[in-house]
Amino acid sequence: MQESMNMEKGVDRGQGRSYRGVLARVGPGRDTWRWLGQQLFNRENPAMYFDPLLESINPLWAQRYIPARVEAIEAETHDSKTLTLRPARRWGGFRAGQHLNLEVEKDGRWYSRPFSLSCSPSHWEQDGTITVTIKKVADGEVTPWLLEHFEPGDVIGISRAYGEDHTPEPGRPMLFITGGSGITPVLSQLEAMADRHLRNPVTLLYFVRTDADVIGGRKLEALAERLPNLELRIVAAEQDPQNPDHLGPHHLQAVEGLTERDCFLCGPPGLMKHAQNLLADAGVPEEKVSSTLFAVGPGVVVTEDAGGTVHFSRSDITVESAGDRRLLEEAESAGLNPRYGCRMGICHQCSCRKTSGIVINQQTGQPSGYGEETIQLCINVPQGAVELDL
Amino acid sequence: MQKLSEEQLENLAQDLDAIRNEQMADLGQKDADYIRGIIRLHRTLEFGGRALMPLGFIPPFFLAGMTSLGIAKILENMEIGHNVMHGQYDWMNDPELNSQTYEWDTICTADSWKRTHNYEHHTYTNVIGKDRDYGYAVLRLEDETPWKPMHLLQMINFINLSVFFQWGVGVHELEFEKLRSGEVTLREKAEFLRDFARKGGRQVFKDYAFYPALTLPVAPVVIAGNFGANLIRNLWASSVIFCGHFTEDAESFTEEECENESRGHWYLRQLTGSSNFTGLNWVYTLSGHLSHQIEHHVFPDIPAYRYREISPQVQAVCEKYGLHYNADSFPRQYATVLKRVTAFSLPDRMRERLFPEFNEGDEQGKVADRTTSTSLVSRLRNRVSSTLSVAA
Repeated sequence: MQESMNMEKGVDRGQGRSYRGVLARVGPGRDTWRWLGQQLFNRENPAMYFDPLLESINPLWAQRYIPARVEAIEAETHDSKTLTLRPARRWGGFRAGQHLNLEVEKDGRWYSRPFSLSCSPSHWEQDGTITVTIKKVADGEVTPWLLEHFEPGDVIGISRAYGEDHTPEPGRPMLFITGGSGITPVLSQLEAMADRHLRNPVTLLYFVRTDADVIGGRKLEALAERLPNLELRIVAAEQDPQNPDHLGPHHLQAVEGLTERDCFLCGPPGLMKHAQNLLADAGVPEEKVSSTLFAVGPGVVVTEDAGGTVHFSRSDITVESAGDRRLLEEAESAGLNPRYGCRMGICHQCSCRKTSGIVINQQTGQPSGYGEETIQLCINVPQGAVELDL
Repeated sequence: MQKLSEEQLENLAQDLDAIRNEQMADLGQKDADYIRGIIRLHRTLEFGGRALMPLGFIPPFFLAGMTSLGIAKILENMEIGHNVMHGQYDWMNDPELNSQTYEWDTICTADSWKRTHNYEHHTYTNVIGKDRDYGYAVLRLEDETPWKPMHLLQMINFINLSVFFQWGVGVHELEFEKLRSGEVTLREKAEFLRDFARKGGRQVFKDYAFYPALTLPVAPVVIAGNFGANLIRNLWASSVIFCGHFTEDAESFTEEECENESRGHWYLRQLTGSSNFTGLNWVYTLSGHLSHQIEHHVFPDIPAYRYREISPQVQAVCEKYGLHYNADSFPRQYATVLKRVTAFSLPDRMRERLFPEFNEGDEQGKVADRTTSTSLVSRLRNRVSSTLSVAA
């Protein structure tokens, strides 16, 4: 739902000129195409039927995701890079502070991972490019590979942009508190301010481990030139291990007119929670604080043992599983009535979408990944918090 | 059926699980590349076939178009559709290859197929009364089912089922025999019938209305070509499937034998109730690797093209437990299918004399029967048998 909302909000660049736009105006309606697709190809989206051939002619013609050509790759720090991408023209554009998913195939498996756009919308509007900054998640399934695998000229899949529109409003004094790769959506917002020649007083508190971990350093320097009222405070919290400088009341006290400011938080969950508490203590009204929870890393608690909280999202039921009962039994005792067949892992009748969390296949003993995928309810148990589309 | 002790069954399960786990751990890029390659081939053949069909008034083009589309349908049904719906490619996380959403190019809806095939047939394989795929409720293939005079004509059913296979599979879940006996009512099947009509309508519309209308001046040629393509697919698909479970040595089971069975017992049934046929690699691909029905039944959700390479391991397991690994050439296996259909169309006593190879139990009796009897019936049997082996 979020996505469709954003599709409407998104800037429809090039739509009018594309063949789709033309078809939509003069050809049969969207419903007719869908109906015909079902009749001829047994698919809701008939275009996807042609993908295997289209892709082998030109990867940018793929229909099942939005392809984007990698134009350039720049190292930000030892473990992060900024990718400049040129999406296919049907991509819907974005607003400052929004995210997208990179859709990649690694070793035969499709992964979809969220990243923030780190440039202003004007890049897309003017020259059709966007930037996405990727930081390596230690032990991550995807990011280490992402950083190594791609080269300029390659094609990568992206989703439409989604997430709240954080386009800065003129005149309002602002405070950004960010940590680590949480700087990326803020880069987009600050650049959007500069493009619109806004002169709001802005303070950016940016926490990094050491000076070598600053992401977007060049961009921030350039922004400081363009935004005369930008106060840039980069805090290398662990530069001096003997004398660490983590976010504390003293950082906020140094911000002029704190309670008047619109505050925006983005970073690791710990930092965000801490910042929220400090702002509340300093008397900043809750409605002036907004945040983007940008999960760093898996975003799930990885436990050693089986068992955990299982959330059935469609029926909005949550149960605690001790890990000795399979998900099918947990669902049934929670009053749900999922489809099933053999109950022994053969027939896949009970397969359903796991939207997040890790499950263990009791037949192989292997844990799953933490992302969205199809699992068999009858042979899996949760390992930590799991969300199922049931 | 061939018996193993509980301990042997447990070891059997462990041995087969080990093969399975090794394969599952190895899934990766090469599987993705393989299935995508097959899909590209399918699309090329389908578009190629449909493009050639309007030129079908020239005989070579007709033949080429029909064959191309027929092979496309075979690939889509057997190597792509059937295997994807088994969940063989679910791990790829590709929405186009997901067992829960894939819909295939045949009359039967994916949902109905998954209920009757993935669940009923693969769970209760060859259990008389529970696996309706064993004979499709129109063929008598064992003596558990009492003989009736109408069975004399079951070869006609067999031919009809082969020619109209996609329709047979499509209406399979209607459970016609239970409707007739009043076990289920038409009302209970209303939802199935609605889905069946919708999907069947689609398939008919596509091949016999839309594409012919697109090529109006030559519509009759296109209709004939599309009919031919569907016929090619029906004949091949049914033959492959019959060779998987209806061969001479494939065992069937009773419900009592399978009550509260262990995983090892389920494995045992899959090994002894299925049969393979051998051939060239392209024949394997066109059969959706159901040429390796034994491997498929033991490991229904391992990407099927891997069955070829794990076949020696499965054979070794069979050898270890003294189980018969039922594999032979396609013509020979098909001939034994015909023999079984013929044999069980006869009253039991006649069959026992004419086709003693289907008699349960002691081999001695068979030999004795063969050598001592010189009746008319016996001579008839010899003639039927030799005709069949010539056909093979």
